[in-house]
Amino acid sequence: MKKRTVSIVLAALFVITAAVIAGSGRSNEVPAPPAIGTTVDEFTLPDVNGQEHTLKSLKGKNGIVLIFIAVQCPVSNAYNDRMEKLAEDYKDKGIAVIGINANSSEDAATVKAHAAEKHLTFTILKDAGNKVADKLGAARTPEAYFLDANNKLLYHGRIDNSQNPDAIESSDLRNALESALAGKPIEKPEAKSFGCSIKRA
Amino acid sequence: MVAASNALKPMRISRLTLLLALAFLLISFTAPAQDSVRAVRRAKSTTAPAMPTNVEPIDTAGLKDLISKPKDKPLLVNFWATFCDPCRDEFPDLVKVDKDFRPKSIAFVTVSLDDMTDIKTTVPQFLAQMKATMPAYLLNVSDPEPAINAVDPKWQGELPATFLYNAKGEIVFKAFGRVNTDALREAIERLAKN
Repeated sequence: MKKRTVSIVLAALFVITAAVIAGSGRSNEVPAPPAIGTTVDEFTLPDVNGQEHTLKSLKGKNGIVLIFIAVQCPVSNAYNDRMEKLAEDYKDKGIAVIGINANSSEDAATVKAHAAEKHLTFTILKDAGNKVADKLGAARTPEAYFLDANNKLLYHGRIDNSQNPDAIESSDLRNALESALAGKPIEKPEAKSFGCSIKRA
Repeated sequence: MVAASNALKPMRISRLTLLLALAFLLISFTAPAQDSVRAVRRAKSTTAPAMPTNVEPIDTAGLKDLISKPKDKPLLVNFWATFCDPCRDEFPDLVKVDKDFRPKSIAFVTVSLDDMTDIKTTVPQFLAQMKATMPAYLLNVSDPEPAINAVDPKWQGELPATFLYNAKGEIVFKAFGRVNTDALREAIERLAKN
């Protein structure tokens, strides 16, 4: 009886050790993003002033664009003007554009000061515990998600193909928004580009 | 209140003096030590040959070829950019890995995601500063997506990213964001044993 207990304990220890070793190899991998067409759950996050917002309260009548952004990332900063313009252009078309900062190294006060300096007037949420970044599998900045009025994920990825505004050949996010507004299927619902990795808590 | 603050004043001054004295002592002890470290570094850098850092442009087809062609040893690839803070932070560690394992155990190349206009300026300048001698490429594409997917469909393009391929061309280790150098070294050593 005792021998059996010892062997069970040993076996359990072995399994735990193996799991820890196996897990350590991919410690910094980000959760997989939801597939296109998936309905994203409601969430609540505070803005840079600490005021809580629900996804529902922020969403326009035709949906919402969530863009993971950063203070320090030069790629994200290269898109400041384009993101501001996007928010402006789609406000009247019923699509809200919202920024989310999920970098553990950038607190709400820093994000607020940066937004003021760069003239970003759209709402920026602070995802301090990577709650929403994990849910959406966000890995880099800038990285955009377009949800329709029913929280269905229609587009995930880059804003366009180049951080250099003179080299834009494919405005993938805008194309997705235009297709959705026209009631057409989105030709390219996913598109990747390089960006800064999100510093998770 | 006034009386209390006056009473505290002499004590503040004496504390400040004590702190200054301590700081002076610390500086006088540590400064020579730092100088000697610098002297050793200087000596080392002058003995090492000054390697000109040449950065080659590479397109998606070239990148695919690089990672999928038959290899006689494992290949380590680091994707980085001069504009990426964690990339620059981890670079000295990667240069050490390079010195310890190449060319005996692995091949190692770096791929910069900087703009083509930086290929003769900031990119080679940074590599020279790091004393990095591994072959250096800069991805020259208008659409980065095919390159990202050619490397790893699960990669979203976040930087830095590090991949270790075995001789068969299979990814045996990868890191998105700053690499854990101990884990990377272990993975290289494991491959060397097989």
